[in-house]
This record gives sequence, structure tokens and C-alpha cells, in this order.
Amino acid sequence: MSIASSNASMTVPVATHTGVNAAGLSEKVSIRNLEFFYGDSRALKGINLPLYANKTTAFIGPSGCGKSTLLRILNRMYDLYPGQRATGQVMFDGENLLDAGVDINLLRARIGMVFQKPTPFPMSIYENIAFGIRLYEKLPRSEVDARVEHALRRAALWDEVKDKLAASGLGLSGGQQQRLCIARTVAVKPEVILFDEPCSALDPISTAKIEELIDELKQDYTIVIVTHNMQQAARVSDFTCFMYLGDLIEFDVTEKIFTAPTDKRTQAYITGRFG
Amino acid sequence: MSEVALNDTNVTAGAGVTRASALNRLRTTDVAFRTLTRIAVFTVLALLSGVILALIIGSVPAFKAFGFGFVTTEVWNPVTEKFGALAPVYGTLVTSFIALVIAVPVGLMIAFFLTELCPMWLRRPIGISIELLAGIPSIIYGIWGLFIFAPFVQKYIQPFLIDTFDGVPGLQDVFAGPPYGIGMLTAGFILAIMVLPFITSISRDVFDAVPAVLKEATYGLGCTTWEVFKHVILPYTRVGVIGGVMLGLGRALGETMAVTFVIGNAHTVSASILAPGTTISASIANEFTEAVGDLYTSSLIALGLILFVITFIVLAIARYMLLRLQQKGR
Amino acid sequence: MATARVNALYVRRRARNTIAKSLAYAAAAFGLGWLVLILAVLLFHGVGGLSLSVFTQNTPPPGSEGGLLNAIVGSLAMTLLAIAIGTPIGILAGTYLAEYGRHDKLSSIVRFINDILLSAPSIVVGLFIYEVMVAPMGHFSGYAGAVALAIIVIPVVVRTTEDMLRLVPDTLREAAASIGLPRAHMIVRIAYRAARAGIVTGILLAVARISGETAPLLFTALNNQFWSLNMNAPMPSLPVVIFQFALSPYEEWQKLAWTGALLITVTVLALSILARSLTARRT
Repeated sequence: MSIASSNASMTVPVATHTGVNAAGLSEKVSIRNLEFFYGDSRALKGINLPLYANKTTAFIGPSGCGKSTLLRILNRMYDLYPGQRATGQVMFDGENLLDAGVDINLLRARIGMVFQKPTPFPMSIYENIAFGIRLYEKLPRSEVDARVEHALRRAALWDEVKDKLAASGLGLSGGQQQRLCIARTVAVKPEVILFDEPCSALDPISTAKIEELIDELKQDYTIVIVTHNMQQAARVSDFTCFMYLGDLIEFDVTEKIFTAPTDKRTQAYITGRFG
Repeated sequence: MSEVALNDTNVTAGAGVTRASALNRLRTTDVAFRTLTRIAVFTVLALLSGVILALIIGSVPAFKAFGFGFVTTEVWNPVTEKFGALAPVYGTLVTSFIALVIAVPVGLMIAFFLTELCPMWLRRPIGISIELLAGIPSIIYGIWGLFIFAPFVQKYIQPFLIDTFDGVPGLQDVFAGPPYGIGMLTAGFILAIMVLPFITSISRDVFDAVPAVLKEATYGLGCTTWEVFKHVILPYTRVGVIGGVMLGLGRALGETMAVTFVIGNAHTVSASILAPGTTISASIANEFTEAVGDLYTSSLIALGLILFVITFIVLAIARYMLLRLQQKGR
Repeated sequence: MATARVNALYVRRRARNTIAKSLAYAAAAFGLGWLVLILAVLLFHGVGGLSLSVFTQNTPPPGSEGGLLNAIVGSLAMTLLAIAIGTPIGILAGTYLAEYGRHDKLSSIVRFINDILLSAPSIVVGLFIYEVMVAPMGHFSGYAGAVALAIIVIPVVVRTTEDMLRLVPDTLREAAASIGLPRAHMIVRIAYRAARAGIVTGILLAVARISGETAPLLFTALNNQFWSLNMNAPMPSLPVVIFQFALSPYEEWQKLAWTGALLITVTVLALSILARSLTARRT
């Protein structure tokens, strides 16, 4: 962790309620006064949070604290379900992505997501990835091939599947399926990648591979990860945000959250006293 | 890695234009598909309203000529052009009633067998076999009923019933001879076999949904299998069973071909269930293509309207019952 | 004394249990017995008439030998057209119910109406088509028969499509959305693919259902003694030919009716079993 040595020189307003020294960091996404409702019940209360470019931010907190809800607002996944709505601002490259005029499909292509359980599409390994590429770009076959290979390499899956690209994606192991989903996300060339507890259905070895991958991906993407596993948050993230009952309790450099949290509730959570 | 990273940013920057045009294309097909599904949904709506509307318009001449008396008159005379729906309505109700009297207890007992008594490995094959009964086309039941079952009924069952109930007040009129073989009892019996699978499969589904703890608690009191069924399973699933029975009734009321073969096609209201009669659907099937004159045709369509209204009510009740059970389940 | 009374009661309860159980076994035997009996009789009467001429000759005039070729071809033509009309409408409507309007008011109304159509008397469908197609056109036709059958296909396909799409997990929908896939493309490329076996089952069940339907054809397609591929004219079909021949006094005709009945039953049962095995493999 070395915020001071970040090479970017742009300065952005310091997030008001956190202790982060934002000098040298660029805000990819800025969440301001965000509230979220399932029908009449308020699930998020006035969230303010920056997501820094090329950094990994982890959302932690006990079940039902709203961390997954917050993540799913960032690509407007909640739009799929009636009765759910968000108010406030989520600024993404100068645009409030909660605005009605935002093209959701384009937004989702720019902000990718990897889910809790692997979700390969019912088609071949190759098609799983080429599918997303062809949606937005008309490319010659050779270029699609190259992009598929590139994506699979980035997901550290190429060596394992290069001889069976035509096989069904459903035939892979759980860990491989999850990396396939990461490759699929990467192939669409997003700017931000959201991980929703990506390892909760995986064994320790697969988990280690995915964590390594996340660490590498951060060079090119802004990464947000929701996790139940505090060690995981400590291992992979640069910043951590602790949430509790729909409130953002504390946001800071990961090291600080895990060694010297300012809020009592954060301390109680990371020392395992609840959740 | 740095080479790859460079590559990534390059494409992202240049992709803006292509993405915008791709997006337009996607958006158009997206909207088009959604519209198509909506059109299809409205087609389903239009079908039902179309059926109702067509039947109402078609039956206007008959109701104009005969008024409400159409439903309460027995006469059916194409020569003098006097038509009344009483005989077919009566026949429809009687045959369906006979069908239920037989199929409900048998269907429930089969479901009891399938859920509580049958060995596991036999449940699926026997269940499927019973359901296959529902798949056999009704015309097969008809031809089978006419050539095999009706002669059997004529030779053995009807004489037996006539002899047994001869002299019993009330019942002797219900089972009055002569034994034709075909008639309302035969039709009702064949309908019973046809609706049996519906009642069985819905009952089985709702019996299966009874929580195991509830059954175990009753067994724990020392109850026998039958007592568990009678005192716990049946009351618990009552609404669903009624729904299944209503669904079966809906089928029986509208069934055409099987009945047409064995009902005898007599436009009379007879107290004896051994006598030939007719049902709404059998009358339409038999006479519609031969009907000359607007009034005759219209009277048959009016019969169709009455049938549709009756089955609509019965099916609506069935759906309501099954829906209520579903909501209770949640 | 008390134990004696309890024992007597217990014996009675146990006897009642035994009787009820026996009745249940008897009921199951009764149900299965009918299936066996019907199939046995069909085989007994139908197999004798099976010969090549059934498939190569047209329906004969009274009193002479012949086959069922024109009826089989007519049935095939109308069934195919009915499936071609009914399947797309059914799948699209089922898609709306499962994907776009899962919880809206319109969907619950349509679901109810679809269930009514699913069990509505098929003869009423015949009357409807007679009024809207046959009467205005001035003549019976294979088209009218096919449309009548299509109306029976639609609710079957709507129901199975909706049920099968609902089995597709929402996580797959979200995953598709997360790479920027619009709803329609998600449905067509992902959800349909995942639910394919189930949707095909629905179509097979619909084919099974209409291949034996007689009532809606009686006064739409009517019948035709001769070879005809003109769907704008009266068209023969296997069920209607069986109906006509079985009720005739001619022995040759009755024999052909039994053979036709056997053909239809075997087709329908094979289709239902095939449909079941398709979905059974998935779950």
C-alpha cells in the first residue's frame, strides 16, 4: 500500500467523512448522498464514497448491511426488478449514472460484474467470450480469436482450455467457470469491474487464483469487491469500506481499517464480535 | 502485462464510435422484440374475447326467436324449426355428474396409493401410465366405447341394474330399461375414465405438498396410514383437491367425441340414466354440418355459448381454488 | 376391562386401514387396467388392418378396400401449419409472462385466460373458426382446420414456455445484463438456450394434443374422400375419417377406422413419452 507513491498528479476533493489523503488519486466513481429503496423500505442511507481509479475497494460488513445492494447500484442491476429505486448521485466520468437517460446496456458494458456463483452461458467456452465482444464490435474472425485468447490469458485460463474451446462452458470446474466469467467480463473492455463475493462458492486453491487475478487486473481497471471474508478484503484491496445496517460506517485505506479503525462498530466487526 | 494494458486502453478509447452505432442497432431489436411479445400476449387475450364475441353474435337469432325459454324447452325439431336446449344441457350435466361420482373416489384412492402406499421405484412409472390415459385422444375412447364397452354394458351391466332396482321406489325410474348399451350411463362411465387422470395427478401433486412433519406427527400418535390420509392429508389439501375435481369437471362438460359415439343422440329428457340422451357438444358435433337454415345453426351456436359459459365458470372456480392453495403454500 | 375395549377398537381401526389400503390398490389396478385394456383392444383390432396399402391408397368408397393416405397427409399438413402458426405466438406470449411482465396486472389476467383456453371445450373453437373463417370464405378449408388447431396449440406452448423460462436462474439473466446485453438478446441468446429442452417438450405435447383432435376439425376442415393438397379446400384428416368410418355400417370402413385409431394412439403416446423423457433428463 503506497498511496503517496502513486504517479498520477491530479488532485480531487477529499471525501469529507473519511481519513483518506486523496492526493494523487483520481476518482473514477463518486457516490453522493445515495439512498436505495426496496419498495418502501430504505436499504441504503445517504452513502458518500469515492472509488479510486486503478485501485481495489472492498465493501465489508455483516449480512444485510447493504454492501451487495450498493454494488448492484453501480451497474444498475436493480433495474431488472420492479419496485427498486435509488436516489442521489453516482458520478461516473462526469455523468450521473442514476439518470433516467443513461443507456443501461452501454453502462453495463463499461462497468462489468462477476457474480457470487459462476454463471457461464449455456454455450461453448469460445462463444461465452466471443458473444460479448460481437455485441458491440464488428470484427473479423481472426481479431475475435485474438481477443478471446487475450481475455482467457488475462483470466489465467488460456492454458487450461486452449485445446477445448468448442466444449461447453458448463463442463468446467467451479474455479475455471469463475475465471471464464472474469474473462467474459474483461473481453467487453470495461473500465470498472464489480466482484460480488466472487470466491464464496470456490475451494481455497481456486480462491487464491482469483485473488491473484484481481490484484493483476487492477493495473487496468478500477475494482470493487464485496466480500464476507475479512482476510480476503485485507489481502486484495487498497481501500475498505465498512457498512452496517445500510449506513456507511467507515471508509479508509485498508491497512488502517484493519489495524486502527476509528469507529467502535468497525473494530467490533473486524475482531469478529458480530456478523 | 504492460503491453497488454496499453492495448486495452487503446481500444477503449477508439471504441466509443463503434459502440454508439452498435448500441442503436441493439436498442432497435430490443424494442422490436419486446413489442412482439406484447402483441403475442394481446393475441391470447383477443382469442378468448373473440370466441366469446363470436358465440354471442352467432346465437343472437336463436335467443331472439325463443327468448330465455330456449334454455328451458325440451323440443328440438329441425322440421318445424323449434329448438330448446333443455335436453342437451340436462344430458351434459347428468353425464358429467356420473363421471365425477365414479372418478372422484377412484382418482383420490389412486393418488392415495401413489403418495402413501406405492413402492418408490414404481411411483414414476405408474404415475406416468395414469397420465398417459389423459393423452389418449378422445376419439379413441369413442370408438372403443361404441364397439367394446357399450355391448358389454348392454349384455351385463344394464340388465343387472334393471333387475336389481326393479321395484325400488325412486331408483327404479333411474335405472329403467330397456338395455340399449349406449346411453347416459355409458357416456358418463367413459367420461369418468377420461377425467380420472386429471383428478389423480392434481391430487397427487397436492398430497405430495403436505409437510412431512405433519404426517409424522400424526403417525406419532399411533394413527394408521388410512387415518393419516383421512384426517390430515385430505383436510389439509381440500382446496387443491376441489380445484382438481373442478378441472376434471370442466373437461367432462366439454368433452365431445367420446360422448358423441355412445350417447345415442336423442333430444329427450329422461329420468333413466340407461336411456339414450344427448349432450351439448354431441349435438353440435352431430348436427352442425347438416344444419340447414339460420335458426338451426344459430340454435347450435347458442348451445355452444351455454357450454362455454358453464365451463368458464367451472374452470374459473378451479383456477381460483388452485391459486389459493398456491398462495397458502407460500 | 379397559384394555379389552381398546383392543376391540384397535382391531376395528386396523381392519378399516386394511380395507382402505386394499381399495387403493384396487383403484390403481382399475386405472392401469383401463390403459392396458384400451391398448390391447386397439392392437387386437388395429394390427390386422395394418398393411402397406394403408399408407399408399386413399380412403375408399363404401364397400371397397383402400387406405388412409389422404387422411394421413391431410392431418400432417394441418398439424404442421397449426404448429407453425401457434408456436411463435405461444413462445412470445410465454416470454412476456416470464420475462417482461412477470408481476404486472396484464400478465395475471393473461395467465388466467390462457388457463381457461387450455381446458376450454375444443368444439367451441371449431364453432369460432366456423364463424370467423368458414362462413366468410364461403367454404370449408384446410386453412380453417389448421387455424382451429393452432388455437389449441397456443395455450399449451404459452404455459410450458413460461414455466420453463422461470426455471432459468435469475443469476444467468444478471450475468447477461452485466456484459451490456439488452433484455431481448439475453432472452433469445441465453434464456431460450437454457430452457430449450423444456420449450421443445411443450411443442411436442402440443403436437400430441392436436394430432388426435377431432371436434375442432368437424366443421372447419370438414373431410374429403380424395387426395388433396389444396389447403384452401376441404381437407381430410385421420381423426375425422375415423369418426366417419367408425359410425358407418360398412365393415371395410370400420376396419380402417380401427387401424387409424391405432396409428393415432401410437403416435400420441410416443410423442408424450418422448416429451417426458426430454424434461426428465434435465431435472
